[in-house]
Amino acid sequence: MARMKFLCDAERCIECNACVTACKNEHEVPWGVNRRRVVVLNDGVPGEKSISVACMHCTDAPCAAVCPVDCFYTTDDGIVLHDKDLCIGCGYCFYACPFGAPQYPQQSAFGVRGKMDKCTFCAGGPTADNSDAEYAKYGRNRIAEGKLPLCAEMCSTKALLAGDGDLVADIYRQRVIRRGGRPQTWGWETAYQS
Amino acid sequence: MYARAIITLAAAVMLTACYESTDVTVHKPGVYKGARDPLLAKQRAPEQQQTLRERFALVQPDR
Repeated sequence: MARMKFLCDAERCIECNACVTACKNEHEVPWGVNRRRVVVLNDGVPGEKSISVACMHCTDAPCAAVCPVDCFYTTDDGIVLHDKDLCIGCGYCFYACPFGAPQYPQQSAFGVRGKMDKCTFCAGGPTADNSDAEYAKYGRNRIAEGKLPLCAEMCSTKALLAGDGDLVADIYRQRVIRRGGRPQTWGWETAYQS
Repeated sequence: MYARAIITLAAAVMLTACYESTDVTVHKPGVYKGARDPLLAKQRAPEQQQTLRERFALVQPDR
């Protein structure tokens, strides 16, 4: 069984934000919510680095550990998903996540949080695959269609890789050998246990 | 002598407020209570895994 992982190659990311746009468009993500965003380190300084960040679908997901209503589950290939019908919008997962992945739409006055929204690795949620209900709640289910996350498929420089962790690691390893230097698999030590 | 003992005792009691436990509470995730995801059964099928591998080979390698 494959183990799905994201990897952003900071040497290749050019901060074009196409991944962010592709994600928002594909899933009709509501205003105020960004399932994916590009973070720039040392912005404006020569040698700045950009990293595309979303839910990393952690091996031992801290969001799932702190959820008081146990609405998180992990698929066999390691994708961390949640049930929006159970979510109470408490915000614990937001504080637990090292990547700031869980987001909350501001649906009403007085700062009341809506249901938590996060990257699904384009795998939808616990409703019938590719149904209208699934699309409305979680976005498109590309995995069920035999496709990979659109953010990675769209990436023009192939900085963002998504798929079977072994295949992703192979590609990245070849790049590091070709360009020299040390591998910097940003976030992998935090998200994935070896 | 008696006053010094009281001051020492009070200082000791006050210093206990400075103690900070460094033990980390590790939470284990509970059992998922939501609806069943039909994708789970689909993912176990070898055809689905093969489809995703072929898709990866098609769209992810360096150009």
